[in-house]
Amino acid sequence: MIKEIIKYPTPLSIEFGVNVRLFNEELFTLIDDLKDTINENNLQALSAFEIGDYHNVILIKNGDGSFLELINPSLITHSGKITTQEQTAYYGELTAEVTRFEKVSLVYQDREAKNCSLQAEGDLAILLQRKLDYLFGATFIQKLSKDEREKFELKLEYGTNIGIKDYCPTTFFRDKILKAINFLMLLMLGIALSSLFIEEKSILESMWEYQSYGFLVVFFLNICYFFYAQYEGKKYISCTSCQIGNIIGTLFISLIKLTLLYVASYILIPSS
Amino acid sequence: MARLVVLGGGVAGHTAATFAAKWLGSAHEVVVVTPNAKWNWIPSNIWVGVGQMTKEEVTFDLAGVYAKAGITYKQAKAVSLNPEGDTSSDKPFVTIEYTGQDKVGESENVEYDYILNATGPKLNFDATPGLGDGKGQMGDHTVSVCTADHAVHAAHKLQEAIEKMKKGERQKFLIGTGHGMCTCQGAAFEYIFNIEHELRKAGVRDMADMKWISNESFLGDFGMGGLHLKVGGYVVSSKLFAESLFAERDVEWLIGAHTSKVEAGKVEYELLDGSKGEEEFDFAMLIPPFAGVGIKAYDKAGEDITDTVFAPNGFMKVDANYGAGAYENWKASDWPRTYQNPTYSNMFAAGIAFAPPHIISKPMSSPNGTPINPTPPRTGMPSGIIGKAVAHSICDLIKKGDSAHLHEASMAEMGAACVASAGKGIFTGTAAAMTVYPVVPDFEKYPGTGRDTDYTFGEIGLAGHWIKHILHHLFIYKAKLQPGWTLIPE
Repeated sequence: MIKEIIKYPTPLSIEFGVNVRLFNEELFTLIDDLKDTINENNLQALSAFEIGDYHNVILIKNGDGSFLELINPSLITHSGKITTQEQTAYYGELTAEVTRFEKVSLVYQDREAKNCSLQAEGDLAILLQRKLDYLFGATFIQKLSKDEREKFELKLEYGTNIGIKDYCPTTFFRDKILKAINFLMLLMLGIALSSLFIEEKSILESMWEYQSYGFLVVFFLNICYFFYAQYEGKKYISCTSCQIGNIIGTLFISLIKLTLLYVASYILIPSS
Repeated sequence: MARLVVLGGGVAGHTAATFAAKWLGSAHEVVVVTPNAKWNWIPSNIWVGVGQMTKEEVTFDLAGVYAKAGITYKQAKAVSLNPEGDTSSDKPFVTIEYTGQDKVGESENVEYDYILNATGPKLNFDATPGLGDGKGQMGDHTVSVCTADHAVHAAHKLQEAIEKMKKGERQKFLIGTGHGMCTCQGAAFEYIFNIEHELRKAGVRDMADMKWISNESFLGDFGMGGLHLKVGGYVVSSKLFAESLFAERDVEWLIGAHTSKVEAGKVEYELLDGSKGEEEFDFAMLIPPFAGVGIKAYDKAGEDITDTVFAPNGFMKVDANYGAGAYENWKASDWPRTYQNPTYSNMFAAGIAFAPPHIISKPMSSPNGTPINPTPPRTGMPSGIIGKAVAHSICDLIKKGDSAHLHEASMAEMGAACVASAGKGIFTGTAAAMTVYPVVPDFEKYPGTGRDTDYTFGEIGLAGHWIKHILHHLFIYKAKLQPGWTLIPE
């Protein structure tokens, strides 16, 4: 019977890796279901876990259409390391760079409960390791390096492999310029308000002077922001949409705030 | 006045003897026969083995504690049992041979009304050629952390290896199990990561090659079929956790291995797929397999009845189903409940000394027929619980007569906790605290793994490490019978 393959975001069960104890009809039905599901979905292999069964059974489809049935498989030795791009049914089309052992040797039982062993390398070794992880309730995400995992989590969020090779930063440098602008304007507002409590003329004069310099600096920073933001927007073109509109809008608001502040200072500071 | 003789002063024997003495009071006599002068909190031997604790911190003298509890203490080892007495008397007795108390080598027959066999295991180093010295003791090529003295020796050897590395000599560390039928993988797991931690601290980690060799069928099996762990908010199987821990700490591994021979600087092994190989080492800690301590039994006429009382591996037969047959027929109900010997009703066994009906993990062997699978782990918690239940039964038998109801403690209905540390700093340590319920899988009650997944769980972090510290002090406090000791659980 063709079974449904569990796919992300359905969480994987924590029931895992149960050794087959009884080699009976139940096991043979499971193996038949796995075969049907592999054929229907045109897959290379399936572990029982992927169709919601927690027994330690993996089926691999050979090139000639026959099947390799691995019951209670266990990886006992390994050598070498290899990093390749992997794809698995659970995550659909999404891929990730996974580091695996290059050569492995496994022991397993066949459907007659006979103990067998298997040496594998290259693609088969990688496939076996990926399917073994499923038996323990895991996908390749647990095998990824920290960086690769972050990238893959983004792929999961966007549901695509495309355009996020240079993954998007969560903060942009242009936001830091905006922060500086806002900080300076807050300082200017402070100066404007504190002038209400000061009567000494010489101090008030120098305060106005600071406000004027402040105005010039903030205006200049806004210009910088406008050009730098466009450059940065082009660098991460796939990360956000309609960046130019955002940049112009932000600049416009910032300049209005600056103008209002300057006008308010002109009115508030008596020496101006 | 009845006399209860307890053979062994480990977790099971000590727990049973101290509770029995408390419940029976001065009306009856409790005798402890143990070859050791000191009680040892074995889990902390790991820290002794890396030089982070002294032998004195993990042991204390038994004599004072037994004097306080009103227990007769004989520092001796049990040699043989005569459950029917001999030609001169019907009274059953145990023959002991002193190992201390100024009577070394002297024999004595100690009569009993009830006997509890809690001798623990014999560390069967000689099961692997070269692992033992051929006389039942540890050989010269490897170290062990099974006893406090072994651990002191291991710490000394580790220090030598560190000195060599400081002088620029690379060292290869090989840690794991020394036979295909070992248990206690958790202890070896703790030891390898404690060594790794110490080498880092000493600044010589880059001079060390580390390798794990074990009879587990997958990394993270821990001899109990693995479990799920909570790591920083994620849930991950112990296999995945162990694989990433080994990769992160750069420790190589080899599993499904039976260590077949040990020589100076080299071990030979056979794998589950039948292939054979060799592994070189400069420092090796390989856990030996366990066996019964080899007590003989004789009937009234002096005929050898060891086979009636003990299983072939030397452990005492109890109320287990020893005829369960093949793996698919195994049931939780095969496991003993009262630990009473089926032939002699005044004989009991507890802790590691009782013969389990079969192993817990799936039996595996290489194509050459070599069995390679973990044997049932019996950590302190089940041993203590069984010891206490048996003490309860014996006290009731003494006080209420033969019709008394026996107390039950099946390993298929009890959990076990285990804390495996990976370094001993107060703020830098990490440990995996794991609980398993039930110890023996019950496939009828819990289809699938045979375990209750809600209670079979682990957590990794600094908290686990602190728990290990707390347990160290708590259990030594309890074993010393300090005020309130009965309130501390097993």
